Amino acid sequence: MEKRTVDMQIIGDWVEPGTRVLDLGCGQGDLLAYLMQTKGVAAVGVDLEFSRITACVRRGVSAYQGDMTTLMRVFPERHFDRVICSRTVQELAEPKAVILEALRVGRALTVGFVNHGFWRNRVAMLLRGRKVRNEVYTTAWFESRPANPVTIADFEDFCAAHGIRVARRVHLAGNWRDPCPLLPNLLAGYALYDLTRA
Amino acid sequence: MTDDVEAAPSAPAAARHLAPGDVGLVAPRDFVHAEPFTFRGGQVLPGFSLRYETYGELNAARDNAIVVCHALSGDHHCAGWHSPADRKPGWWNNLIGPGKAVDTRRFFVVCANVLGGCQGSTGPSSLNPATGRPYGAAFPPVTIPDMVRAQRRLLDHLGVAAVHAVIGGSMGGMLALQFAIEYPRLVRRVLAMATTGRESAQAIAFNEVGRQAIMQDPAWNRGDYALGEGPRVGLAIARMMAHITYLSDASMDRKFGRRKRRAADTEPSAFDVQFEVEGYLRHQGQSFINRFDANTYLYITRALDQFDLEEAAGSVEAAFAPVEAETLIVGFTSDWLFPPEQNRALALALLRAGKRASYAELATDLGHDSFLLESEELYALVRGFLDRPAASAV
Repeated sequence: MEKRTVDMQIIGDWVEPGTRVLDLGCGQGDLLAYLMQTKGVAAVGVDLEFSRITACVRRGVSAYQGDMTTLMRVFPERHFDRVICSRTVQELAEPKAVILEALRVGRALTVGFVNHGFWRNRVAMLLRGRKVRNEVYTTAWFESRPANPVTIADFEDFCAAHGIRVARRVHLAGNWRDPCPLLPNLLAGYALYDLTRA
Repeated sequence: MTDDVEAAPSAPAAARHLAPGDVGLVAPRDFVHAEPFTFRGGQVLPGFSLRYETYGELNAARDNAIVVCHALSGDHHCAGWHSPADRKPGWWNNLIGPGKAVDTRRFFVVCANVLGGCQGSTGPSSLNPATGRPYGAAFPPVTIPDMVRAQRRLLDHLGVAAVHAVIGGSMGGMLALQFAIEYPRLVRRVLAMATTGRESAQAIAFNEVGRQAIMQDPAWNRGDYALGEGPRVGLAIARMMAHITYLSDASMDRKFGRRKRRAADTEPSAFDVQFEVEGYLRHQGQSFINRFDANTYLYITRALDQFDLEEAAGSVEAAFAPVEAETLIVGFTSDWLFPPEQNRALALALLRAGKRASYAELATDLGHDSFLLESEELYALVRGFLDRPAASAV
């Protein structure tokens, strides 16, 4: 929960009060409820599961059950002030399509992800020769959802290649709390990006 | 909507109406509006009455009303029992009652038979004061907005200052949406299930077959028939056909399969009932003609066909522009009459219009009638939506 709190605060800092926010993979609406409370945003979430929509509705968070790309396609350009993709990007079937679509419907896009280039992940793979398992990725390969183990370097390359402007980036150390300015692809456990179209 | 989605209550027959969580014995009342009422089409009735039921108490702030809107063949009796001898409780008894998802300890539930109906509200089977005979086809064409505007008069009469929520499935969902469009300041929440902003060609087609069955029956006589008479054959066939559209292939297969009825003692004809599903549909048709008026069936299916939010305002988003209520739309995967896509489209249009709207989709195999389902998941969603104190405006 502590790890959750830190990135929630950073994500919240990037949200302007009273704006319109879309959360891709909103889960039970924790982040949006927090943003509604602290920033007075008009929030919409999207998730795949009925029970999560129920949880959102129960706390007054608007939520749409269905595919996030299908949802985004029906909105005009820049309908949202900010789209948030927190810890979702590595599980998407088509991350590129989602990110580009999010940058169409949103003026800005927040992406937060676990850095698979973090040295401990590398060492675990190198020494154990097994799928990385840690407190975030707790499950064995056969009971895990399909994942793209993205790294900070991968993500930076992607943004550069697709003309995506990185307005802000925050790299956090392995404890997901302290800033990690040096060699982030090796030393950062978690990364947050504030993106806009170039 | 069908009559038999709810499972039979398990309590002994004599005490079923006393079951905990039930509203118990209830009685309908009549609201008489003695002033002229102008329909959307311009026709005027000198007055009208609506038959309705209420459960729970209106609070001091007069803002805890939940308006329940019924479907095509439904009525005002949505919970409780009219007498201990009743075979079945109100049609949404599984959802409404003390401690249930629509909690009558907290909410003042109001449900009225629609204008144009035949369960006690003014409709084509009511006596036309000008002729002393039933209106029949002389009744003004009724629309979903007409039904909503008539119910607004009832709410005023009851002293309701704000509506906590309007809820309904199928046609009831249309009414609920229309309530929020027509009376944005009154309605705080809308819960619409298994519904649509405009029927597809397929849904209109089914309604048309039903209407043809009625109108081709010589006893229809252009809508002119005495009370208790009329196109009984046509109405029964219309009901049998419509009933199929409320179910699903899977649910019918589970319920009937290819099971056969035992042959009667008499010499059977090749076209007597052979399969259970046939007997079931015939029974549905027969029981329907004893409680429903054929002209009402024509009028209300027409109202359904003509309901078109897009046409009314230029776009669905424009239709929703006045809405202030928080909306929850629920679709059901096996509903092929008002399929999930049409429900989803409503939620998306509301979101595009910048409204607070949610969409949930329940995986069921019961077809259109899934909104009547006994489902803890559905109850949790409905309860969660209704129980929260009114959210502050965006």
